[in-house]
Amino acid sequence: MRTTRRGVLAGGLAAVTATGAPGIIRAQAQPARARTIRAVMHADLRVLDPIWTTANITAYHGAMIYDALFAMDANFEPRPQMVGKWRVSDDKRSYTFELREGLKFSDGTSVMADDCVASLRRWAVRDGAGQHLFRRVTDTPVVDDKTFRIVLSEPYGLLIGALAKLSTSNCWMMRKKEAESDPNQQIRETVGSGPFLYNRDETRPGNRYVYDRNPNYVPRSEPASGLAGGKVVKVDRVVFENIGDEQTSLAALQNGEIDFFEVPPQDLVPDLEKDQNLEIRVLNKTGHIGFMRMNFLHPPFDNVEARRGMQHLVNQADVMRAIFGESKYWQRCGAYFACGTPMENDANTDWFKGGPNLAKAKEFFGKSGYDGRPVVVLQPTDHYFGNPAGMFIAQWLRQAGVNVDLAASDWGAVLNRRAVKKPPNDGGWNIFSTTATGEAFSNPINFSGHAANGDKAWFGWPSNERQEKLRDDWALADTLEERKRIARDMQANAWDYVHHLYLGQFFRASAWRKTVSGVIGMPEIVPFWNMEKKG
Amino acid sequence: MLAYIARRLASTVLVMGIVGVFVFLLLHLSPGDPAAIIAGDNATPEQIAGIRQRLGLEDPLPVQFLRWAVAVVQGDLGISIFSNEPVIKLIGQRIEPTLSLALTTLIVAVTLAVTFGVLAAWRAGSWIDRSLMVVSVLGFSVPVFVVGYMLIYVFAITLRWLPVQGYAPLGEGFGPWIERLVLPSIALGLAYVALIARITRTAMLDVLAEDYIRTAKAKGVATAPMLLKHALKNAGVPIITVIGIGVALLIGGVVITETVFNIPGVGRLVVDAISKRDYPIIQGVILLFSGVYVVVNLMVDLTYTVLDPRIRY
Repeated sequence: MRTTRRGVLAGGLAAVTATGAPGIIRAQAQPARARTIRAVMHADLRVLDPIWTTANITAYHGAMIYDALFAMDANFEPRPQMVGKWRVSDDKRSYTFELREGLKFSDGTSVMADDCVASLRRWAVRDGAGQHLFRRVTDTPVVDDKTFRIVLSEPYGLLIGALAKLSTSNCWMMRKKEAESDPNQQIRETVGSGPFLYNRDETRPGNRYVYDRNPNYVPRSEPASGLAGGKVVKVDRVVFENIGDEQTSLAALQNGEIDFFEVPPQDLVPDLEKDQNLEIRVLNKTGHIGFMRMNFLHPPFDNVEARRGMQHLVNQADVMRAIFGESKYWQRCGAYFACGTPMENDANTDWFKGGPNLAKAKEFFGKSGYDGRPVVVLQPTDHYFGNPAGMFIAQWLRQAGVNVDLAASDWGAVLNRRAVKKPPNDGGWNIFSTTATGEAFSNPINFSGHAANGDKAWFGWPSNERQEKLRDDWALADTLEERKRIARDMQANAWDYVHHLYLGQFFRASAWRKTVSGVIGMPEIVPFWNMEKKG
Repeated sequence: MLAYIARRLASTVLVMGIVGVFVFLLLHLSPGDPAAIIAGDNATPEQIAGIRQRLGLEDPLPVQFLRWAVAVVQGDLGISIFSNEPVIKLIGQRIEPTLSLALTTLIVAVTLAVTFGVLAAWRAGSWIDRSLMVVSVLGFSVPVFVVGYMLIYVFAITLRWLPVQGYAPLGEGFGPWIERLVLPSIALGLAYVALIARITRTAMLDVLAEDYIRTAKAKGVATAPMLLKHALKNAGVPIITVIGIGVALLIGGVVITETVFNIPGVGRLVVDAISKRDYPIIQGVILLFSGVYVVVNLMVDLTYTVLDPRIRY
């Protein structure tokens, strides 16, 4: 074979032509720029089944394409959404729901009562609140095409709240066909009855996720409020752009290439506030709680005295200041159900108000019989919160005379290691830290981190029978006042056996161009209905 | 020649096989669990365990490897753990931006670098030579992402001449396509320019000291033909070699450049896959990159025969 210059040139030309070809084939009509909102969200959308995973970004996806029976309004009151009329029997053991007219799935079929029953049952297998509710559900009979019931063995005051819950997994309604599949198997279909349609053709996994306005969606007549009310879509398309780099996202926002940036780097927010073209606002008023979990299975934190020692070491202001600087976007918080939430109280918080207290911490570690073994603190070096938090925790422990093994890794490895129940020197751990929303913390049932049922509890596996009893009492309480009273007891107890510890409450600002209006602020989910774009 | 090509292609398969084993072990023995990432932060241990089982991650490593290797031999790179799309399809969706970026970078970088190298050698020791070499050292020393951010700040944010990020397929027109490739190509090409320019200069200096160049000058050959026809052609073999070796640099740079400029190419695909532990994608892309590298080097070897007819295989 002879290789000639002409051959090399021809080959090169062919390669260039081939490069262009896929783009030519792919070109499709797109809505006008002014009718498209381009948003950079907090994470890449990796899973499309919002019941199967608790990942927040998948809940956002769920809110786009699915609808719910009930939804929380701006005052955190559950309101009917897909439900038109509903009633409770006198003995409070039977709830009857009638779907409103005009609800259709994106495949054109009508939403039927049996779709909703199947969806409820699938959700109840996966979700903590659903599981708690369905322990009392004896039947879910379908009355007619549009009507079904939930029949309970005992009154359960949280029922409507659970159906409207904000934290993942939300109770979205799917077609019976998908909802009856194995709850432990991820659903790949994206047929819902929500205000948007998922555009698979235009979506590029890992790069952009495209949602088009659902022309068949019939919004409620009430004005939008939180996740409730009329979900009126005022743009043709919403695109979740997955820009991997924060700096690039920021530059793209300033340049008008994207319209909405959910969580810009917090340290740059003060600079963004000076940009006349941008609006900066905290959408999640309950913010996030940074918290640390101690492993109840192994020394030293299997001993309550060691946990109390840790309790007296925590200095929330240090952690918050290190991450967010001197800023209006964080606060110290000693309330077990997060500050600014209905269950906030100050029971048993003297340790917090007077803390940190190194001498007391040393005293408690002494009482615990701490034998000098290294305490393994997981430090995810690529996590904006876990990385500095890990370093602070290690430093506090060292000041108290505790040996520390600061185990640095990436966040993916922490997710793996925190599930290991073996001793810390055999691949396990003693402490890790992460974050969750204040809204999640506000509810003793919905947030799996509040469970204290030992082996079955969330990572750290705290165990406390009284706490479990109080959680049940809270769920069965009839009135808000009664729940608040039980919440006080729960908090006093939790801080006594030291369920977990908080490292501060912070409020992440979102930024968007002033051409965008109608942004609704709620915890857990950013709704894209009601948003408008000018120019 | 054909026998040589066949031998090289056979060794390519072997190389990719070794790469496959290495990548598989590296990925599966490093900490990190895709099931935990899929399940989300609030998932219970039971939920994570259930997902692991579904994904087949509880199977012994040899079983997982065998399953993957058999599929690869059959042309199936597997299914993405997260998107549930075939890896080959995902790569297909992402190949155009990466090829566009790599080719524009290659064309611009080689053109500039060879020109700079020839000029520097021609005027060795002059201010042109020194200036070009300073630029070259800078290009080689400053990381791609720093160059990228600086270019974004100057040309996109401050001057607003070019977009910050993204990619427009060639099908949407040449203008939008090239507009979004200018900054990434410069950022990616700078180190490449530096590398090739330095080698070109060195090779040209050697050739320019040869007797036949002196003879050409004595016969009155003009400067341009003397440099390009007589000198550059004879300095071509080391230059082509370094262009081929530099493809590895280009591949590494593509990964970073695509992240900084949000180009939805294969580089971004693999970066996202690594953060998610999406093993099938990582394995598929690394196999692809290995294949490209080996094939490029084969092409380089074959190009030697064009530049120097004395070389025979």
